[in-house]
Amino acid sequence: MVYFLLDLAVLGSITAIMLVGLNLQYGVTGLINFTFYTFVAVGAYMTAVTMMGKPAAVYATGPLAEQYILQWSLPWPIALFIGGISAAILGLFVVLVAVRRLRSDYLAIVTVAVGFIVYNVINNAVQLFDGANGLFDIPQIANLATEPYSLYLILVSVILLAVCMWVSHRIYHSPAGRVLRVIREDTIVARTFGKNVQLFQIIVFVISSFMAGISGGLLVFYVGAWSPAAFLPTESFLLIAALIIGGNGNHWGALIGSFVILEGLAELTRLLPNSISASAVGPIRAILIGVGLILFLRFRPQGILPESLLKPYKPRRIPRQAAAVPVPNANVAGNVPNIAGTAAVDPAAEEAQ
Amino acid sequence: MLTALFEGIGFGLVAAAVIALGAVGLSLQLSVTNYINFAYGDLMALGAYFVYAINGGLHVNFFVAGLLGAIATAIVFVLLNIFVLRPFVRSGARVITLLVVTIGISFIVQNLVILIWGTGAYQYSVQVGNAFHIGPFVFTPGDLIIILISGGLLFGLQAFLQYTKLGKALRATSNNPDLAMSSGINTDLVVNITWAISGFFAAIAGVALAIEENNLRPLEGFNELLIIFSAIILGGIGRQTGALLGALVIGIATSIAAMVLPPAYNAVIAFAILILFLLVRPQGIFAGREVAD
Repeated sequence: MVYFLLDLAVLGSITAIMLVGLNLQYGVTGLINFTFYTFVAVGAYMTAVTMMGKPAAVYATGPLAEQYILQWSLPWPIALFIGGISAAILGLFVVLVAVRRLRSDYLAIVTVAVGFIVYNVINNAVQLFDGANGLFDIPQIANLATEPYSLYLILVSVILLAVCMWVSHRIYHSPAGRVLRVIREDTIVARTFGKNVQLFQIIVFVISSFMAGISGGLLVFYVGAWSPAAFLPTESFLLIAALIIGGNGNHWGALIGSFVILEGLAELTRLLPNSISASAVGPIRAILIGVGLILFLRFRPQGILPESLLKPYKPRRIPRQAAAVPVPNANVAGNVPNIAGTAAVDPAAEEAQ
Repeated sequence: MLTALFEGIGFGLVAAAVIALGAVGLSLQLSVTNYINFAYGDLMALGAYFVYAINGGLHVNFFVAGLLGAIATAIVFVLLNIFVLRPFVRSGARVITLLVVTIGISFIVQNLVILIWGTGAYQYSVQVGNAFHIGPFVFTPGDLIIILISGGLLFGLQAFLQYTKLGKALRATSNNPDLAMSSGINTDLVVNITWAISGFFAAIAGVALAIEENNLRPLEGFNELLIIFSAIILGGIGRQTGALLGALVIGIATSIAAMVLPPAYNAVIAFAILILFLLVRPQGIFAGREVAD
């Protein structure tokens, strides 16, 4: 049970980082990305190859030979950062191709295309990341003998999640965040107000790609292996479904989405009746998620935690004018605005109570 | 070398015939409803499986089974439009919401197919016949039938759009739905007919693809969809002749590239062409006007 909770905490936090990133793209700015998980994968691969050094002697030659580029052995925080940067660079490339005065649905196609290209190239070009076999035997970031690994990783991933949440919070509540929401609702309005829509879109796409890369690096620390089978198009779809059901546009909704929808559902499918064969569980789960997504979009598009729960504008403490309603039988002094900031109260009315 | 090149072009023509069927069906619906149907590829596969079930299960002649399967797929498309997509359009959903809905449908259909038919590969019980030479090209009778059916259907669709009253109504709705509605065109009906045609073409394209690749897998349509997108964007969205030319370019280019590179890179080539074109000429090769935002 404890191990299950630890597992949930790590995977949930890592997924939450992805969803916070995806929320910045889709929920806040309205940029659609059907291959978010590709950026996660690129982060994972780059983190792995920059920290795992040369392959162990067993895997250096022979049929099990593991081959990959770079083979650096950097400390893990730097490797993680490189993973994030690599995903951000891919994101920059994608968004630069797609936002050149194109229809909004072109971005969707370009993301699908890029996901497909990256998947096929990695799967077939063995020299790059060991092809379909994938990377394995990736060193863990803490000494297992002295520290319970999961706890250390929980700490790292929760802190990084908190940082991402904070970044997302600051972006959302800044004036730039307001521009992003205008872009989501209507790009023409944003353009009319003289905002550089493409620049905003590029910046958001790159920031959230960076988050995807970071989460990929964390994931590779946790599972210790990575291969093309880990980033099929289905994964990106699950992320979108979790975000929409959790609460599109609200980063707390992204949190709900990752812990409840993705992790909770994986556990729930274990409760399916035994009469269903094991091979049918995956498709049934996928169909349920698909139906749930469409029903949510139709009947509760704001998700479980609607965006309106975020209060974008904090009321500023400005001395308020006195009530403008003329009070009968009050003397003139009673209607003078109270400079101290409290509303003027008619003394007569107070006495009457 | 030259013989190999001509063989490559020959394969490319068959591939182009398949892509063109899919591209025209998808592009027609896109031009009328103005959003992309990301479930199209998986629905192609569904149609191909329908035909497989009718042909193999009910022992119906293959061509009749193809027709029945295509009609069944057309009905599925219309039902999807009426019960899933139209309510979203009526409630004024944004395009990107509709895209997510269609990708949700794609996810559901794909997994339904896996649930019913499994992940294994099937083959139709038809003989494609022995290959023979026509000039420098090499074809099987199956290839020729694909090319003929594709050409015939595309020609028929073009004639329908150009000369029938319904076809004109369809083009009018594509051009300006509000104006079409106020001119007395029943746009709901037109949109449903568009979906039906799109479904019909999807099923035929799915069957042709399964014959071309000589096996039928649940993911065949999803992978082909990406190639179809390339053809559509290349030709300019909403242009039937453009989609046809885009299909020719993509089909021949991928077939020739497949002779040099492993076939796994087929779709990669298609996308490399696509991205190159998006960078150089985002409105497509043949589009004259700016695309709307």
